[in-house]
Amino acid sequence: MTRTGIISPTQFPSLKSQRCGGGGDASFMEQLLLHCATAIDTNDASLAHQLLWVLNNIAPPDGDSSTQRLTSAFVRALLSRAASKIPALLNIAFQPPADEIHRFSVVELAGFIDLTPWHRFGFIAANEAILTAVEGYSTVHIIDLSLTHCMQIPTLIDAMASRKLNKPPLLKLTVVASASSFPPFINISYEELGSKLVNFATTRNIEMQFTIIPSTYTDGFSSLLQHLRMYPTSYNEALIVNCHMMLRYIPDETLTPSSHSSLSLRNVFLNQLRSLNPTIVTLIEEDADLTSENLVTRLRSAFNYFWIPFDTTDTFMSEQRRLYEAEISWKIENVVAKEGVERVERTETKGRWLERMRDNEFGGVRVSEEAVSELKAMLGEHAVGWGMKKDDDDESLVLTWKGHSVVFATVWVPI
Amino acid sequence: MPVDLDDSSTVSGDASVSSTGNQNPPPQSAVKKKRNLPGMPDPDSEVIALSPKTLMTTNRFVCEICSKGFQRDQNLQLHRRGHNLPWKLRQRSSKEVRKKVYVCPVSGCVHHDPSRALGDLTGIKKHFCRKHGEKKYKCEKCSKSYAVQSDWKAHSKICGSKEYRCDCGTLFSRRDSFITHRAFCDVLAEESAKNHTQSKKLYPETVSESQQKSPAAVESPPPSPSPPPVAPSVSVSVESETEPEPANIASSLVLPIQDSSDDPENNTLEVIMEEAPGTIGLNGSNDHSNNSKSVYAALFASSSSSSSPSLYAASSTPSPSLFPPSSSMEPISLCLSTTGPSLFGATIQDPPPPHFLTPLHPPPQPAISATALLQKAAQMGSTGSGGSLLRGLGIVSTTSSPMELSSHEAGFGLGLGLPCSSGSGLKELMMGNSSVFDPKQTTLDFLGLGRAVGNGGNNTGGGLSALFGGGGGMDVFGSGELSDKDTGRRSS
Repeated sequence: MTRTGIISPTQFPSLKSQRCGGGGDASFMEQLLLHCATAIDTNDASLAHQLLWVLNNIAPPDGDSSTQRLTSAFVRALLSRAASKIPALLNIAFQPPADEIHRFSVVELAGFIDLTPWHRFGFIAANEAILTAVEGYSTVHIIDLSLTHCMQIPTLIDAMASRKLNKPPLLKLTVVASASSFPPFINISYEELGSKLVNFATTRNIEMQFTIIPSTYTDGFSSLLQHLRMYPTSYNEALIVNCHMMLRYIPDETLTPSSHSSLSLRNVFLNQLRSLNPTIVTLIEEDADLTSENLVTRLRSAFNYFWIPFDTTDTFMSEQRRLYEAEISWKIENVVAKEGVERVERTETKGRWLERMRDNEFGGVRVSEEAVSELKAMLGEHAVGWGMKKDDDDESLVLTWKGHSVVFATVWVPI
Repeated sequence: MPVDLDDSSTVSGDASVSSTGNQNPPPQSAVKKKRNLPGMPDPDSEVIALSPKTLMTTNRFVCEICSKGFQRDQNLQLHRRGHNLPWKLRQRSSKEVRKKVYVCPVSGCVHHDPSRALGDLTGIKKHFCRKHGEKKYKCEKCSKSYAVQSDWKAHSKICGSKEYRCDCGTLFSRRDSFITHRAFCDVLAEESAKNHTQSKKLYPETVSESQQKSPAAVESPPPSPSPPPVAPSVSVSVESETEPEPANIASSLVLPIQDSSDDPENNTLEVIMEEAPGTIGLNGSNDHSNNSKSVYAALFASSSSSSSPSLYAASSTPSPSLFPPSSSMEPISLCLSTTGPSLFGATIQDPPPPHFLTPLHPPPQPAISATALLQKAAQMGSTGSGGSLLRGLGIVSTTSSPMELSSHEAGFGLGLGLPCSSGSGLKELMMGNSSVFDPKQTTLDFLGLGRAVGNGGNNTGGGLSALFGGGGGMDVFGSGELSDKDTGRRSS
């Protein structure tokens, strides 16, 4: 190094023998991104410019390593942010190509969500808990607040149908319809989707009703809650609220800063949910903190989390991988480039969610051993890096990739 | 036990191990002996780096007396007993055994980095084989091959054993994927619709029959020619553009599968049509009594009528024109793609052998200034074809370990005004030396994003000037050199 006091190469041990852009460069890329973010937010056009140029050189969007492609997604997000903050940077009429938004058909989506255990983990854990909880009830009312557009339901229907019962319960499924603001996007209406599900349920001898309530995360699903209050559960009806990676969109304290945390829409939602006295609530979320108002902190958290989905699909066929990475890139852009109500991805850590649930008088319930075996068996059918852990301090199950926490699954009852 | 130690150090020595990439620390393996998770070494462990030859040695444990080799330590100990050693020498050394973690000998591999070391020897051996070894074991039934025998055995157990085939032809190895697919597969919808078609004539009779079969509620509405909105359930769709705000509308829909009594499999259900609690803010919504009838109408409305949604989306189903289409309905676009399976291939492939390619999460580095980073990038660019350019421009930073660059990275164009002897490296760069601007590189536009500069170096001049000159008034590099003071201000 020509300068003293500057980090010497030995502090990046893997860089010694790797070509630039290969494996060990993640921390280097991270540093570049963080500096770039700071430069953008402090309107330092020239530094931002330099950094973006370097970044784009070392991290092409179609780079060989997933680290490069991940970094490239962040670069695009930073560019997008810069476009609004430092218009001078985009003086040259260049617009980064907008990532195409893919609209899945339901069959495509069904395949997509099973590429990795990312969603199936939560599905299995939640379905097991639901089946246990609804034993003896003649009506099962499920509110499915899920990112995956009801992809959890077919296996639940199948499981319900497979139980040897004289008469399977009536299944009522309620979903919310709001303008699709985040991926994955589907290309049919919920009505059609529902009709398919009902059709399927019928073929399995399950009587089913499908209800769509227009309600949106932006106000904490208040119209849904209102509807549920107007039509309380009847006798012998179980009320299940299945929250699969959806509650993170409800504004939290960082969006509506207020002196009293109980006023956040997120807490209000949980509070009102509790007052409905549901039979169980399943909460499956990603374990990361993307809520910081400080961009650098947020970017660091995002970089240290989104590398995981990129890594999990690194060996996939390029078509699938591109699609998958596009979905993640959308989230990255949302976290990095957007602010205010536009920034919808406000994922919180498991610890924070547990705190919220407990604050709102929910108690955690352990998932059964059968579920754990089923989960392990499922993970065994995927790539070797997938694992799971059970936390003894709480009743959660956590999906891991190479040891890093990815998704947690919890089950709650009112206490 | 003689082991070649190329390098042994504590994991925490080289680079502090971050506990995880994100915020959660790994579970403490206090009392319980937990298997170390891959990629998460214990900070106090000793890092062992074995050469490939040593790593793959089968007889690792060698008797110090007769040099006989054993695969397992227990076997070695058993053997040593036979030598009638004096008591003292028989005991293992009493010093505490430090936890050992192993790195992969292949440089460039993600597990070569101490912070990505694996906790057990078998693990690193398997990794080494899987990732860097030859795939000698081939599956007989399919095309997959494996380097590690146990992987191959595990695969052979499942290969072809459980297969679920949907009627549409897609094959699944896992039941839950199969079920999920099946629920949404068009084939199922078509089958059900076919059942309806067959039974349409029987319909009026089956109404009463169905009463006895199914439980609870609801009547099956008689067919009605009235043009009805399949009402709340369908037109409420938020995707419907012309439909006004249906504020608090709940739509309930149960689609029946009217069975012909011939078909034992399907169940008979009634149509249940619940009205929106209180409000039905829909245009064209007729009196409620018609609603349930309308459901049927819609159900059997086919694609032949453009204005009625085909709820089963089985566009290939010939419609029973028993129920006239509801013309007052909003057309709802059905774009059910039938390309489903093709996206993911005809079969769901088994998970490929693991490639722990990407590193991640190196330990938090001390704060590095932006200049340092750029300089580092310059360093990395000082070798390779770009290096000669840079040297020519006098932009060379001395470094003790030149790094290899692939050709496209060479065109780093690192004359970013980094501390260098030449004050205006940038200008020289702008003279357009085509070696820097590799056509393959897509980095020549403004921020190097987007299309590759068409032909080699021709556009470079233009591209660069656009890059640097176009920002009216944007003084990218000031005097062309970033002085210490300047960067000092900017670095975080």
